Amino acid sequence: MRNKIVNEIESKFSNQGDFFIEEELINKTTIFLIGFKTLVDLTKSKLYVQQIANSNTSVKALFINLNDEINVDTEQMIKGILEGNLVIVSEDGKQNAVVNPIVQNLRSSISEPKNESPIQSSTDAFGDDINTNIGMIRKRLTTASLCHCNYEVGDLEKRKLSMLYIKGRTPKSLIDKVDRQLKGIQTDIDTIDDLNLQFGKRRLSPVSHLFATELPISAIHSLKENKIVFFLDNCPFALVFPNLLWDMLVSIDDRNFPSILSFMLRFFRVIGLVATLILPALYVALVSVNPEVFKLDLALFVAKSREGIPLTAFLETIAMVVLVDLILEAIVRLPKSVGPAITMVGGIILGQAMVEAKLVSNLLVIVITAVVIASSSVIGMQNSLYIRLLKYPILILASLFGILGVCIGFIFTIIYLASLTSYDIPYMTFRIKKEGEIK
Amino acid sequence: MGKNSLYKLFFAFMMIMLLCGCWDIKDINKRTIPLVLGISKTKGGEYKITLQIPVLKNERQVSKVVTGTGETITSALGKIRTNSENAVDYTQIRLIVVQNHLAHNQKEFTNIVKFLMGSEEIPSRSLIAITDENVEDVLSSINDKLGVHASSIYDFFNKGADWAPEVFSTPVWEVYRSLFSSTKDIAVPLIRSGKNTVLIFEGSDILRKGEIMDRLKPEEIQLIRVLQNKNEKGKIESLGFASIMVSNSSIRLKPSLINNKPSLSSDLNIKINVLERNDGVTNKKIMEELERIIEERFFQILRRMQESHTDIFGFGQEFQQLISYNELKNWRDEYYPDLKVNFEVKVNME
Repeated sequence: MRNKIVNEIESKFSNQGDFFIEEELINKTTIFLIGFKTLVDLTKSKLYVQQIANSNTSVKALFINLNDEINVDTEQMIKGILEGNLVIVSEDGKQNAVVNPIVQNLRSSISEPKNESPIQSSTDAFGDDINTNIGMIRKRLTTASLCHCNYEVGDLEKRKLSMLYIKGRTPKSLIDKVDRQLKGIQTDIDTIDDLNLQFGKRRLSPVSHLFATELPISAIHSLKENKIVFFLDNCPFALVFPNLLWDMLVSIDDRNFPSILSFMLRFFRVIGLVATLILPALYVALVSVNPEVFKLDLALFVAKSREGIPLTAFLETIAMVVLVDLILEAIVRLPKSVGPAITMVGGIILGQAMVEAKLVSNLLVIVITAVVIASSSVIGMQNSLYIRLLKYPILILASLFGILGVCIGFIFTIIYLASLTSYDIPYMTFRIKKEGEIK
Repeated sequence: MGKNSLYKLFFAFMMIMLLCGCWDIKDINKRTIPLVLGISKTKGGEYKITLQIPVLKNERQVSKVVTGTGETITSALGKIRTNSENAVDYTQIRLIVVQNHLAHNQKEFTNIVKFLMGSEEIPSRSLIAITDENVEDVLSSINDKLGVHASSIYDFFNKGADWAPEVFSTPVWEVYRSLFSSTKDIAVPLIRSGKNTVLIFEGSDILRKGEIMDRLKPEEIQLIRVLQNKNEKGKIESLGFASIMVSNSSIRLKPSLINNKPSLSSDLNIKINVLERNDGVTNKKIMEELERIIEERFFQILRRMQESHTDIFGFGQEFQQLISYNELKNWRDEYYPDLKVNFEVKVNME
């Protein structure tokens, strides 16, 4: 006979195909095993329960030995079932337990990073499981001051969110503000941007509050740099808060090289950043608005290379820049087997056919190639994307005002970036002050 | 961001579009870029402007020469602009060649320099030169020469000090400055078209407030540059029994004013390399001979300059602290003819 509680749970999950209620006879009393077949490995879990039952005399002792979470109310049982736990209810319904079962393996194991490629560094990357991810941090950062706060956020589903920081390093005021904000989350957090929007309105801004990294080493470095690291369940990234401009240029892996080499790497990233922002704009400004800036030989060379091209410099540049951005996006979307074909076709069309057809000038193709390469030199995919976006306003200003427009556009870009803050921490700051450190 | 401020932003953006004048922007390949500007006067008294314009399409012809006449330089330039196929962009002009009959007229030359300086389009850093030939012939001669390209005329003046120290380049702004200077005069290079090379350097005309006072030979110009403390490397000097190359030079000037008579002691140090020598010629002989030649040359120029009241060496600059500003205005006529220069050359072997 099924008791009231079991019936209640059953009715709750009546339209779930993979829901099960198994009856089991232990010490002449019946117990009910409740859970989802897709989440719980039933055969193994049954065996496990029986093994423990054999060494226990009563059902009560069994429940105590199985788990410390016993005799909870129905609501918690339902939650336990949804989280993939095995719920055991005694025949009379008076005793119950939420048991951590032997689970179906739904996770991939620790693999190499997909979006970053560290050189001379550990190649472990974060996976989907939040506990594994935090475990990876704990394993590499064995200190008692590493603090870990759990949150469950969301409206439709409760999603696990973890906040990690190092006590005594990360400013207390910052932790308090973030803690208050996370506790107040009402909406679902489906994407990283949903979480990003919680830290302040930046709907029109390309710069996120969070810096996503796949590498445990870089996450640990951020913790040591007095930052906060978030983990979202089923999200294979450590989300570093706050995101600073410096993160785009400096990676902890650089320091595996001698300091002069790491300086060189960072210097090239700065060049890449600046080149991406102003190179197309500079081309337009010099070719169409201020050719007098050119040295004489260069002016003649540029004039010659553009001879017979029907498009104006601005149209030509914007067409090429958009086309290149399209190709970059298309290569990401395509299956790996088709990608090289598109790369080749794109390369031939852009590099050769357009020049031979005299649609764009040789020089522009060189400029565009330089920009594409330069934009990928910064760290982090989202950073590379946003500097690719920021080049467009400068390009438009350059087509209107020439060199002056390039300067104004560049200065305004810097002013804009300098105006960004996350909880009063400027985006352009080099490092965050330690707890208790005086300015 | 409120809805209102979005409208404002949009409005500001539209203003940018309407006010920037971007429809007047011409791409570089839609512009005609003249490199050399020649100024002369026709027999009828009109200005004649000659432009050397590089030809980009044709492989055989490197440049073309376009002329226009007008009552003023501006109107002549304007006429060329009207008749040109493309928009003419004067901002890349690098050399201005003035024909001698204009250059020898102080008023005309002063006006030309003032016009060039005042013109917003023609860059004031462009070089100025004087020719005795027909300007048109100088500019068009470039197409007859083998292996030259459109910017050859300009390159002629930019070989760099080590390669041809005699070739002297004078930008427009320096000539303009000398119009108002009471202590320093200026040398303007003199060119003509060459037989096998594009140009031949003939020396320099010395200008005092826009008036040509004298003409110096290339080796004399050399000395002026040394005295203006421009390092003269690479100059090759032939002494008859040996030839040497100047590898370094430095000068120290010490002005003094005694009884209102200026005097200047100047020590010139020259380091030389002996390139070749006849048998039995000692180092000492070479040094003494060189010292003698340079001193002789200097005093010869100085005498000529003092006669014409032209301070090409800029010695007056040294007296700025000794003579008051108002007095210095009369430097050329009152002080300079009496200037005693104690010139000593010291030659060292490297």
